[in-house]
Amino acid sequence: MTMAGRRIAVAAGIVLLLAGGVAGVWLYRTLGHGGPLKTVYAAFDKQDDWKEYGGTWQYVDGVMRNISDERGAKLMSGSVGWTNYSVEADVLLLGQYGDAGLILRASDEEQGVDAYHGYMAGLRDLDNALLLGRADYGWKEYVAKTIAPRVYAQQWYHLKFLAYGCDFAVATTTPSGETISAAVEDPGCLPAGRFGLKSYNTGAEWKNVVVRPATAQDLASMTGGVTPPRAEPNAYPLGSIPAPYDRYFEPLQRDLEAHHSDINARTIDSLRLLPPDVSTQVTLHGVVTLTSPVLYVQDSTGGLAIPAAHIQAPVEIGDEIEAHGDAVPRDFSSVLEHADVRPLWSHTPVLPVAVTAYQASTGAFDAEYIEIEGVLQGKQDEEGNRHVLVLDDGSQSFRAIAVGEGPTAHFGNLKLRSRIRLRGICVVDPAYTKDQTSFAVLLPSLRDVEVLAGPPWWTTGHVLALIIGTLLLILSGFACYIQIERWRMRAVLKERERLAHDMHDTLAQSFAGLGFQLEAMQQELHEGGEVASQLKLARAMVRDSHEEARRSIAALRPDPLESAELLPALKSCAARMINSNTAIQIETVCEGSERSIPLRTADALLHIGQEAITNAVRHAHPSHVRIMLMYAKNSVELVVADDGCGFHLSSGSAGFGTRGMQRRAAAIGAKLKLSSVAGRGTTVRVSASLPLSFPKALWRTVRMVQPWKRDRNEHDMQ
Amino acid sequence: MQRDGKESPVSMEDGPRAVKAGTRKVWRGRACWTTTCLLLTLTGCKSSRSIVAVIPRTCGTALWEPEHAGAATAARARGMEIYWNAPMRDDDMPSQIALVERSVARGYGGIVVAPIETLPMRTPIRRLMARGVPVVVVGTDLGIPAGPGLSYVMSDEQLAGQMAGRRIGTILHGQGNVAIVGIRPQLTSLVERERSLEATLVREFPGIRVVVRRFGLAGAPQEQLSANEILSGGERIDAIAALTLGSTRGAYYALVATGKEKTVKLVGFDQDLIPPLRTGGIDAVVAQNTYAMGRIAIEKLDQERHGIATPGVTRVPPVLMTQENIDSAEIHAILDLSWWKGQ
Repeated sequence: MTMAGRRIAVAAGIVLLLAGGVAGVWLYRTLGHGGPLKTVYAAFDKQDDWKEYGGTWQYVDGVMRNISDERGAKLMSGSVGWTNYSVEADVLLLGQYGDAGLILRASDEEQGVDAYHGYMAGLRDLDNALLLGRADYGWKEYVAKTIAPRVYAQQWYHLKFLAYGCDFAVATTTPSGETISAAVEDPGCLPAGRFGLKSYNTGAEWKNVVVRPATAQDLASMTGGVTPPRAEPNAYPLGSIPAPYDRYFEPLQRDLEAHHSDINARTIDSLRLLPPDVSTQVTLHGVVTLTSPVLYVQDSTGGLAIPAAHIQAPVEIGDEIEAHGDAVPRDFSSVLEHADVRPLWSHTPVLPVAVTAYQASTGAFDAEYIEIEGVLQGKQDEEGNRHVLVLDDGSQSFRAIAVGEGPTAHFGNLKLRSRIRLRGICVVDPAYTKDQTSFAVLLPSLRDVEVLAGPPWWTTGHVLALIIGTLLLILSGFACYIQIERWRMRAVLKERERLAHDMHDTLAQSFAGLGFQLEAMQQELHEGGEVASQLKLARAMVRDSHEEARRSIAALRPDPLESAELLPALKSCAARMINSNTAIQIETVCEGSERSIPLRTADALLHIGQEAITNAVRHAHPSHVRIMLMYAKNSVELVVADDGCGFHLSSGSAGFGTRGMQRRAAAIGAKLKLSSVAGRGTTVRVSASLPLSFPKALWRTVRMVQPWKRDRNEHDMQ
Repeated sequence: MQRDGKESPVSMEDGPRAVKAGTRKVWRGRACWTTTCLLLTLTGCKSSRSIVAVIPRTCGTALWEPEHAGAATAARARGMEIYWNAPMRDDDMPSQIALVERSVARGYGGIVVAPIETLPMRTPIRRLMARGVPVVVVGTDLGIPAGPGLSYVMSDEQLAGQMAGRRIGTILHGQGNVAIVGIRPQLTSLVERERSLEATLVREFPGIRVVVRRFGLAGAPQEQLSANEILSGGERIDAIAALTLGSTRGAYYALVATGKEKTVKLVGFDQDLIPPLRTGGIDAVVAQNTYAMGRIAIEKLDQERHGIATPGVTRVPPVLMTQENIDSAEIHAILDLSWWKGQ
């Protein structure tokens, strides 16, 4: 296969793979809950599968309830791949002026009034109708069939909603047992989607929700075998079309009466001025600020508690209520006992008053909704499902109490010494303060706690961790540095060896060859002539150069050097330098217990020793050369001493080789001493430290790399 | 030998023609690969630039669903789609701002928004303009001058106030006490409406006195309570001018509850309750032509997207709905909810 062909094949393979992946994802989404709907799906068995879009949903004793009158609250479940199925449920409207029902074949749900694609069927008590329609981020109402005499709130209706192909049927059974049904055909229908519960402008309850696959027989049983008419949406708002419209006025009357309230209600603050120890019947209006553990309400003048209230319909925080009961004035606030509570309307939440702990401690905000900050000092759980936080703010401490079985993860995640902000009801009741603090804050939920700032980072533990971390970092850095130095030294040694080989193969061999040629020439010539003497000189020069080359090669090629071989290496180096015609005795001495010498140090000592031996052999004409290696506790000393002619030491007498020795010694921080007496010999003494402990090694390294440090060995001569 | 050390499919020894053929093969392969990648990238992609967000104060009401119908019809005619959504309550400003921001994040090609309140919407709109997103504001003046990227479509509130004032003056025969409820400084348009109403009464009906003024409240039930107090108070009230949809409903409920439906006239604003218009429980409603506002807003947005200059501010005349004209074609046109027409 050609290159282009291979590429085409690869591209095609990738396309197929990706297409397969996309198809797989689509199948997964379509099949959803383990595949097509095959079995009866008992909806409330799996509460985690439900998703809310608006509303306030509760599941209690087999009943799913939305207690909010939001317009368009939805609770969704199921799979986007479900096609033909029916949903049945018992439905109860809590309020007087809205609708509630079931959703089929829904997708792309959002929060909003008709914010989904799908079909909805339900009951509406505005016009006492069984309705059916379709939402596509807008509402198309197909059916509004009158239910006589009316749709009653607070009564259960059985509702069944079915989708088969593009046919949709709904049927309801009234409390009196009558069944009303309707059906439509929607060409271009939505083919599949989730199911759900929906309410509009009223709370509602659902129970016995069951989902089943639907067949053509199921549809026929609902429609009586009649082909459903084509769906035609209603294009005008209720009452716009000339038609009998009297039916709208009764619901309007009901809605009107539902919000009728006593205009002679008293303000909450005025209750504190009632005669003490005498209960007075009063009516008041207020907004609910807390429902548990006790009902608290607040108006523009203050707040109060309504313990053991008889509540006509479920209330939640933000509902305005009318309460009628016995007012009992207390020190900082009043209490309404034996109260009847009736909700008036919703969504009038009270805004909290931001106060300091000191202000709250005065009792001026008892029973009122406040916002307060403090530093968390403690957490504990108390009996009665109470989760308690203890906080400080300035000179005051206070408790914050949340009651209930809600999720406690947020409570557990609060860290001591965090600065947090709370919103809740300020109370001075000893039942909550336990007489430990001047006030407490009753939290509607654990979610009313906001962390403003975490605990300070600079704690003892963190500082210690930082120190240890820094030390570990330094240690590892130093270890890396040492390892890098070792690698560098090995690389240098390898390079030297390579040079030595090159020189041996080229230079030394050339000198040897030259020498042989000259010798041959000399043998051909007559002894004593000028050419012969020049030849002899040339041979001597070649011989000397050859020797120099051999010495350089020997210096470059130290042989694999371990510290234990330092002395033998020096000895063999010396042996190479002296030829058979020279009667120089080489003596090696090792004192002290041998220890491991770092490679760098050993290499430096070797080269210094080589140079010293070379100088002795070349210039001093000794008869005896002594090479000593002395190990001390923290150091090693190399001494090369000869009994040659010596020389006069002066500041200007340091030659190239001597300067080289000084540099090498300085590089490893060693001390070099050169001593010589004319006619009596020369001693080269170099003393290097050995690493004993990590701190000492670290200190030496730091000293070595300090460029501003003077070379201690430069003028250290005797 | 190619740079990677492999054998080339052709070499110079094969001649120029073979080299050209080999080169073509190579480029064909590359073109295949590039096309595949492009196709994969484009597969499933849908341009969100042809979608515009239309965000009214709320959905599902007789006031705002006609805007949906007008906008959807105009969008379809221009090959555009609309995303229609709003807060569930017509006083939920934070949710409306969140919807606007979400629409921008989705990359929609423009925003039509009817702000619930004037001041809080200024910053979000300025941010949209800074990002180059064309915006049409419906229903109120934000105080930001119209210009490139920002235009307004509003009901003519001057005319609306005059209509209501003249209606009250007519039905009271120029004499009587009037209560004005539903005053809301949070919306510039409502302030303009109220001032025009009072100016008309002062100018054209000096025998009519405004004896009570009340701010608008959170919802119809609170408005009902407020109107109850007015009607039960000491001052004789001959007519109520309710400046908002909620205050109109609340005032109507209060009239029914106090049995004064026949004796106290109610002139409201913004279409909501239709049946009481037929019975006379509500004398008249000054209705906004939100259908036209939605249509014009989409037209402006489309022109803006094509770089065509549009008038900065367009004022749409309101319509006075009464018992006499409730079934007329003019009223039906502004109550049209059929956003699905043409689908």
